[in-house]
Amino acid sequence: MRSLLSFLLLAVPSALVSATEYHEQLNLRPLPLSALLASFNFRANTSIADFEAQNFRLFPRSLGQILQYAGTRELHLRFTLGRWDAESWGTRPWDGTKEGGTGVELWAWLDAETDQEADEKWLTLTNALSGLFCASLNFIDGTRTIRPVVSFQPEGDHPNTTLDNTRLLHGVLPHEVVCTENLTPFLKMLPCKGKAGIASLLDGHKLFDASFQSMAIDVRPICPSEGECVLQLEQTVDMVLDVDRSKRPHDNPIPRPPPSHDLICDTTKPYHKPDDSCFPVDHLRGQDWTLSQIFGRTMKGTCPLTDPEVPPVCVHIPSTRDIFSAQGAHEIKYPNNDSLRCYHIEQDKEFTLILTKPEAPVDGEVAPLGIVKPETPVLYAERSFTGHGQEHGGMQAILTNPGDDTVEFVYMESLPWFMRVYLHTLSARISASSPNTNTSAEIVKQIYYRPALDRARGTQLELLVSIPPHCTVFLTYDFEKSILRYTEYPPDANRGFDVAAAVITTLEPKAMNIRTTSLLLYLPTPDFSMPYNVIIFTSTTIALAFGGLYNILVRRMVGANEAPPAAIKDKVLGFIEKLKKKKRTVAAVAAGGSAKPATGKTEAK
Amino acid sequence: MTLQSKVGVFAGAALLRLVLSTAFPSLPDLLTGRVEISTPVTSFKRLQEGLFLYNHNVWPYDGGVFHQAPLLLPLFSLLPDVKTWPIFTSLLYILVDLLSAYALLVIADSGEAGQSKHFTSPRRAKRSSGLLVAAAFLFNPYTIAASIGRSTSVFTNCAILFAIAKALSGSPFNAMVAISFASYLSMYPLLLLPPLVLLAYDRQSEKRRIDSAIQFSIRAILIAAACISLLLAMSFALTGNSWDFLARTYGIQLTLSDLTPTVGLWWYFFIEIFDSFRAFFLAVFWLHLVIYVGGLSIRLRTQPLAVLTILLGIFAVFKPYPSISDTSLFLAMLALFRHLYPIMRYTYVASATMLYATFLGPAFYHLWIYAGSGNANFFYAITLVWSLGQSLFVSDLTFAVLRDEWEVERPEMVGKEIRQI
Repeated sequence: MRSLLSFLLLAVPSALVSATEYHEQLNLRPLPLSALLASFNFRANTSIADFEAQNFRLFPRSLGQILQYAGTRELHLRFTLGRWDAESWGTRPWDGTKEGGTGVELWAWLDAETDQEADEKWLTLTNALSGLFCASLNFIDGTRTIRPVVSFQPEGDHPNTTLDNTRLLHGVLPHEVVCTENLTPFLKMLPCKGKAGIASLLDGHKLFDASFQSMAIDVRPICPSEGECVLQLEQTVDMVLDVDRSKRPHDNPIPRPPPSHDLICDTTKPYHKPDDSCFPVDHLRGQDWTLSQIFGRTMKGTCPLTDPEVPPVCVHIPSTRDIFSAQGAHEIKYPNNDSLRCYHIEQDKEFTLILTKPEAPVDGEVAPLGIVKPETPVLYAERSFTGHGQEHGGMQAILTNPGDDTVEFVYMESLPWFMRVYLHTLSARISASSPNTNTSAEIVKQIYYRPALDRARGTQLELLVSIPPHCTVFLTYDFEKSILRYTEYPPDANRGFDVAAAVITTLEPKAMNIRTTSLLLYLPTPDFSMPYNVIIFTSTTIALAFGGLYNILVRRMVGANEAPPAAIKDKVLGFIEKLKKKKRTVAAVAAGGSAKPATGKTEAK
Repeated sequence: MTLQSKVGVFAGAALLRLVLSTAFPSLPDLLTGRVEISTPVTSFKRLQEGLFLYNHNVWPYDGGVFHQAPLLLPLFSLLPDVKTWPIFTSLLYILVDLLSAYALLVIADSGEAGQSKHFTSPRRAKRSSGLLVAAAFLFNPYTIAASIGRSTSVFTNCAILFAIAKALSGSPFNAMVAISFASYLSMYPLLLLPPLVLLAYDRQSEKRRIDSAIQFSIRAILIAAACISLLLAMSFALTGNSWDFLARTYGIQLTLSDLTPTVGLWWYFFIEIFDSFRAFFLAVFWLHLVIYVGGLSIRLRTQPLAVLTILLGIFAVFKPYPSISDTSLFLAMLALFRHLYPIMRYTYVASATMLYATFLGPAFYHLWIYAGSGNANFFYAITLVWSLGQSLFVSDLTFAVLRDEWEVERPEMVGKEIRQI
């Protein structure tokens, strides 16, 4: 909880600042088992008047013009890879609000009086963003777009009159692979372009090697109680690095066990024997790293445009751990939060941090964790497919409330049209071990459902769910896997189709977001190699049936002996006859040697 | 044929279905999930989904799952929830099956198969009893599977049989109403209208006789059109004053936008067809289906019941979403023509082919969908065999009907080898 406060503490002042300003901050938070969360946050403001006059300074012109052209009031774009392991890493950074489902996720409030106008603007927006971010956003078409009703609320301050004339559209591309070509335009939008400041630490090789990474772009208007409204662009990168993997040298990237004399063993284990069996504990003793080791490069001073009041680097670690920083850096400690340390940095100097290994505990003593213990999240969510075969399937979402308060949330799914959902099979079951035994009607309070239309739009399902304390709820429903036209399958049809993550927005006890992992759906496949054969076989069958019936209907019946001899049979018989005759003639010639050339006539015939 | 034996057969059939669905409670759901029984336009699971949406104020026709006629929704809303009270749904389906069997009984007892107004078969003496026909329908495994699998095509089948039965008993108005219901439910029975009108014309009761065939058919068609319009108007009002349901229920049969596998020939063809030829082949396939109606009605003008039977057989093979329920209807009608069995040439080959496909079809489907050791071609090949076997039956019946007709002119040719030229 304290660590969360610190996030808020740092976030609050920026909301009250003047019209044009920029600041950036990197938060480092070691997580259990050699994971390290690095949260980069860049925030630029511009006054609405400047924005409308196309007077761009800190706000990137490329994005600004797209927003103006597509009439976008508020925009949220997410590029995400990997999975946040809530069981061991605890609460998500920024309470999950700056995270997307695997792949690309985009939602925006567009100025539009009608749905049709909204669709046109959405098409413009997705195509323009697709070019700007080198992502396949242009594939967000009608089948991947939904209009959420309760899941998303505008984050910015919009006057009610404008909000009435805006439409919210949400699109996902779960199949998109986020990679360096998306990072480059992301960095280009920063005032210092990744050349100085914390952005100089962002390296594609490390970012996309992370266990989890999420890049977020949020544009929203902010209206302070006094002063003019500003348009805020917030860019966020959250990544969970594996420290061990990052520290591994480039020339020796294969993980190898350390030599036995370097091992630190847990001597309390009953099977522990010196030089024989060992339960290694060094990874439990806390991590040690330097900034350049984990990011692969050093930090090049600070961005000259950044607000000097905001410290650019902060580390969340117990005060007992030792951190050394480069010369010229100035460490700040906060009296109300002793596990937070921040650093002010000189503009042109390279900056580095060194986290040292904690001292080995005295034998027999339990080693301290060496990190700030992650906070337990409000809700755990898992989602998976059930059933087997390529015809019927089921979806199961397991939602666990570990806390003491009832959790109320909206569960939203945006499913592809070729997954035919049977909503009448939806059931919410509370696990048998839970103390409460509510019926499903009390768990799922409201359903908002928009069924899919073949090849036109996907399924939209929003459920208002409430889970009592210490309970696990199983949400299940059945679906059917439809078979597609052979041109509708991707080249790797047997890999399956990606199904976007479910978005969970909690309402009580506090607002936060959770996204499940995306899923892989196997559809039945036709044989791609034989369209011609199928066309020929089916046509032959039809021709056989039709031809047979036609013959029976139009031909005249006669007795077998009355029928004129069939033409083909006639010819064949004639040919045989001819052969016989010839044979006879040859035999006669051979016998008598004076046969008349009468056979020539028959041959001529 | 006593009343007792009738009751015995009907009660036995009802009891068999009831026992099967109560002794094996998972059997109905298992059969509902089979592609051979449930097609996108007849599946009970889709009907339940439509019903759920309808009862929760979501228009079922604003989605891609439900493709059945709107009036089924209020009908099934009247029944208690199928999850808690499956027995009521089973009872409804049993009742519909018994009604169909009753209609078959009436058709068989009318003797139309052997002796129509313009034609009297020399073999008519050897006709099958109505009870036998009804029993053959009720105890046909295909019928039982479709009934327990709760396919909504049983309603269509019942309406078609009633239309024929009413036409035979000299009440053309009722026949037209019944065929309108069938057409409203599944569209394709509309194609049965010409032979049905002929049948009704031939079997008019003496009291209200209309001599002019044209006048009679215009009147019949007007009745059917009015009835269908009424049903559509009711559906229009029921679905919130919108015509969306037309595209979802009949449009999908015309465009085959749902490519779920069935036992028919369309699905794999339209998966594999090149996009630029899709519209052309849809038109060709539908034209192929329609073209038989005129030809058969003209050639077999004297025997409209035979035309209806042959057409039902053709539809069971070539319609967009066929199922074994359609085959069961054709086989039930085939049982009426027992006097023709001796002159059918390929009954053994055709029935062996169909049996072969019946057993191998589910196995190959399993290999493709569940085991993953086969591909789509396995099931496709079986549907080809199934269709060929069934079309062999159809053409063989046509041949037998024509030969029977020919032997009236040439009684000396009975039992002799013949040839067609």
